[in-house]
Parts: sequence; C-alpha cells; structure tokens
Amino acid sequence: MENILEIKNLCKTYDNFALKNVTLSLPKGMIMGFIGENGAGKTTTIKAILNIIQSYRGEIKIFGLDNRKYDKKIKEDIGVVLDDMFFPEILTPNDIDNTMKGIYKNWDSKMFDDYLKEFSLLPNKQIKTFSKGMRKKLEIATALSHHPKLLILDEPTSGLDPVARAEIIQIFQSFIEKDDCSILLSSHITTDLEHIADYITFINRGEIVLSKTKDELLDKYGIVKCTEAEFKKINKKDYIKYRKTKYEYEVLVSNKKDFKAKYDIAIIDKITLDELMVLMIKGEE
Amino acid sequence: MIGFIKKDLFMIKSNFKLLGILIIAYTLMGFVGEIDISFILPFMSVMIMISTFSYDNYNNWDAYSISFPDGRKNSVKSKYVATVLMIVIVSIITTLLSFIISYASTKTINCEQILISMFGTIFGTLFVLSFMYPIIYKLGVEKARIGIFLIVFGLVFIGGFLTNYFNLSLITKAILFLEDYLIIILIIIAIIMVYISYKISERIFNKKEF
Amino acid sequence: MEIIISNSSGVPIYEQIKEQIKVKIVSNELKENELLPSIRTLAKDLYCSVITTKNAYEELVKEGYIKNVPSKGFYVAKINKDVALEEQLNKIEELMDKAVTIAKMNNINKKTLNEMLTILYEEDK
Repeated sequence: MENILEIKNLCKTYDNFALKNVTLSLPKGMIMGFIGENGAGKTTTIKAILNIIQSYRGEIKIFGLDNRKYDKKIKEDIGVVLDDMFFPEILTPNDIDNTMKGIYKNWDSKMFDDYLKEFSLLPNKQIKTFSKGMRKKLEIATALSHHPKLLILDEPTSGLDPVARAEIIQIFQSFIEKDDCSILLSSHITTDLEHIADYITFINRGEIVLSKTKDELLDKYGIVKCTEAEFKKINKKDYIKYRKTKYEYEVLVSNKKDFKAKYDIAIIDKITLDELMVLMIKGEE
Repeated sequence: MIGFIKKDLFMIKSNFKLLGILIIAYTLMGFVGEIDISFILPFMSVMIMISTFSYDNYNNWDAYSISFPDGRKNSVKSKYVATVLMIVIVSIITTLLSFIISYASTKTINCEQILISMFGTIFGTLFVLSFMYPIIYKLGVEKARIGIFLIVFGLVFIGGFLTNYFNLSLITKAILFLEDYLIIILIIIAIIMVYISYKISERIFNKKEF
Repeated sequence: MEIIISNSSGVPIYEQIKEQIKVKIVSNELKENELLPSIRTLAKDLYCSVITTKNAYEELVKEGYIKNVPSKGFYVAKINKDVALEEQLNKIEELMDKAVTIAKMNNINKKTLNEMLTILYEEDK
C-alpha cells in the first residue's frame, strides 16, 4: 500500500454547492495541506472520507481498503480533529479519557495524560471552562492518543496563538517521524503548510484546482510583476493566471527559470501559498 | 458501546444531585401523605436522559462520534441501553423506597399494589421512550417535546372519547381474565415495543448526514 | 552540525541544505562514514518537509557525497577531494568570468582587478 488515502472522482451534490470529481492521493509518511476558500469543499471532502455524509459517488480508499466496507476497521486507526465538533462541553478531560477507553482498542491513557500535562490542561475541569486554544489542544490530544496511522485535521490550529501553534506543529512533525503515518491537514494558516507540508491540494468551488508537491509550488512557481506593456508581450501559454491591480500586473507562472530565460522582465518573485490561492481564485486566464 | 454509555452517564452526573433531591423529597412526601408518586422518579430519569440529546446536539457530538469505530451503531444502541437501565434501576429504587415507606407508616406492606405500580411505571416510561426516541432522532429534541405533548394530549382525548362511546366492560373483563398473565404480557409488549423503536431509530440515524 | 536555512533567499530549501552539507563534508567537519541524521528527523529539526530533506539527500547521493545504506541510513561517502575541489573551482571560474566581462565592458584593466582581488582576499583575515 503506497497511498494511505486515495480519493477517486468523489462527487456530492447539494442545493447550491457540489463536489465534482475530487481526486487526490496521500502517500504514506507524508503531510498534505488541503487549502481553499471557506465553502470550497474541504470540510465536505473530509466528511465524505469519514462517512459523516454518505450519499456520495466515487471511491475512497484508506489503508488500501474501501472506506464504506471497512469503516469500523479503518476508524480504529484514524485520529480526527474537526471544526466545531467534539465532546459535550459539560464533560471533563477525565470523562473523555474514560469514554475513549471503551471506544478505541489502542487508547493510551498514559499518552493522553502526558499531553494534558504538556498542554497544562486540568483533567477535572469542564471543557466549557477552557479557552478556544485550550479546547483545540484537547481535541488534538484526543486525536493522537489512540496511536492512529492517519490524522485528518480540519483547521486544527485555528484560534491558537503563534507559540501554541509552533508547539502543535512540532507535535505533528513528531507524528510523521514514523514513516507509515500520514496527515491530511486542512488549514487557512498557510505559513505552517509552507514549512511542513509535503503536498498541497488546492480546492475551489468543489473542484480540485491543483495537487502538487509544496516544493514545486514554492521553488518552481513564481509571481511575475510587470507593467501593462510588458504583460502584453507575454504569450498566453507561458502563464497560468494574471491579475491587474491598481499599479501593476501580477502573473502566475509555473516555471520561474524558464520564464526568466524567455522574457526580460525584472521582477519574478517566489510565491506564497496565499498569493497562489488569490491568483488562482481571482485571476483571469 | 460501553464508551458511549459512560459518556452519557458522565453527562448526567450533575443531574444525579437533582435525582438525589427528588428521592429525598419523595421519601418525605411518602411519609407525610398517601401520595403515590412512584412514577415521577423514573419519568424524571427519562427526561434527564433526553437532555443528553440536547447537549450532544449543541456540540455536534453526533457528527464527531461517527468518526469512531462503529460510531453510528453504538450511538443509538447506547442511548437505548442506558435509558432502559436507568428506568429499571430507578424504578427498583423507587419500589424499595415504597416498601420502606409503606412499612414505616402503616406497619404493613401492600406488596401487590406496590409491585403493580412498579411494573406499570416501567411499562409507562418504556412506552414514552419508545415513542419519543425515534421522534427525537428524526426531528430533534425541541420538536420532539412538542410532539410528545401533542401525543399525550391526543391519547387522553381519545381515551376520553372511547370511554364515552364504547362499553369498556369487555375490556375490563378481558383484563381481569388475563390478570395472572398480565405482567408477562406487558413485559413481552414492552420488549417488542422498545425493540421496534430501536430499529426505527437506528434506521433514521444511519441515513442521517451532518 | 549546524544548518541554517533562509526562507526568503530565493534559493530552494533543498538546495541550501544540500550545499551546506556538501561544504561540511569537503571541509571534513563531517567525517567519512559518519552517520547523518535521518530524513525525517532532519525535516523536523529544520522545520521543513520530508520531501525537501529527501530531495537534498538524494542529490547528495547522486553527486557522490553520501551513500544510502538500506535500513541503516545515510553515511558520508569517501569523497574524491579532487572532484569536490573541481566543483568549487568551476564555481569560482564562473563568477570570475562575470567579473571580467563587466570589467572589459567598462574599460577597467587587469591591474585594477588584481588589486581588488588582493584587497578582498586580505579582508577576511
């Protein structure tokens, strides 16, 4: 099994939104950043993977097994942090520990306890007394403490201050040190992804726009900044999208080196994921 | 499933105090007067279990729990098992208290009456459970509460309607005839009722998307 | 071992890692047969992705600086000092060529260039 997660042509239709042929593959031992606007389909895709929504078409395989047929077996090894979905807030971390003992075969109370200590979370306080950041840390601790092989995380660091985020990202990287574990990480905090993600999958309006290695996007792709006159000289085949701002043209190209060799334009910058997203979504062809 | 049941018990932990107060109140009232409130405690415990549905909903627990192995199946099963257990246990406690009160105030124990009361209460609360839970799964707790109100109202209305227009002597004769077997029949009906309710709830929940 | 990454330099991260390790190998800071950190541990410590460190190591293997022992890890290879030196000499030649071109274009003579070279060389001391 090369890929820990494989999605092929996932389709799901709602009244005013639809997933269309979403296809992606996450290899073992890798981190995939899942990016897109709010409402682009990240959460819907994640829900399909977990069978939280069920009436979808397409094939989803986890650990090489069909996610519908082997749902129970697969879920023993998946750790999940979802947006705004967790234990009832009148419960305490101790309650969570005792509950999970009876849910996962591999639940590790000691590991959970260690995380609580590391995150300074009091085991006997109700979740509703925790701040947003503390809740997220608790959710992450819960997801990790049954030794999963695949982490599916929907905005796991939202609401965390930079120091806490750095802590959590370190924990994710430790998780990946075992080369048979993977992470699917949906996040708006693209700076984190720019560092630790191996792959980036970008979804827009229910369709996958691109799915590439992060290195290719950051090393090869680039953003050309030029005047209108210079832009007019560029062959349409040599760029992906462009955007006209008040003072300049911004042009997304897939190979900085080739572009530089062909055109004599001074500014070809390294692109950030945020800029990539904005250009892909708001740019014209 | 054990994990799910534990979770619900942890949730009503804070309500145990309420139950404790009610038990004390019940005991006191029993000593003071002849009021038979043996149905209140079991009924309250069902209401408390139903409140767990509200908490679950508020935190989107249902969706989260689907990410657990056998999440959908255990979610429904555990609610039924937990509720039935609570009903039975609380009913037994109430019955024991009734015995104590009866002995303490009248120096006699009206065994038959107390036991009939217990079985009636258990049957009544299981009936409420069987009706309410599928409605809760389909429409949510708030709408279900209204629905139950309407159903009880409707049943009382129909009951009154029937007594006015039909001769119930046949039914009362049939009940007297079956008296010895009444308890067993009630138990069988209760089991079937709860089982059908469970199957319906399971089907509703399995189709649900979040 | 110290490896310092610049995120804004425009040089791909895997290249920065590769070059810095190369320098350490050539300067003997990393000795022959010394075990290098694993791809994953290095990624974690450098706060970058596994594919990046994997890329760096793969290129170092291709260029003969390190060798991959299956199930054990990456070790510093016995490098041909001459080959490594050759590579650095080529780089210097390339840069010198650029300097000479600019000098010629601007009528700056060889003597001035030589003086500049001496000053620069002395500066670091």
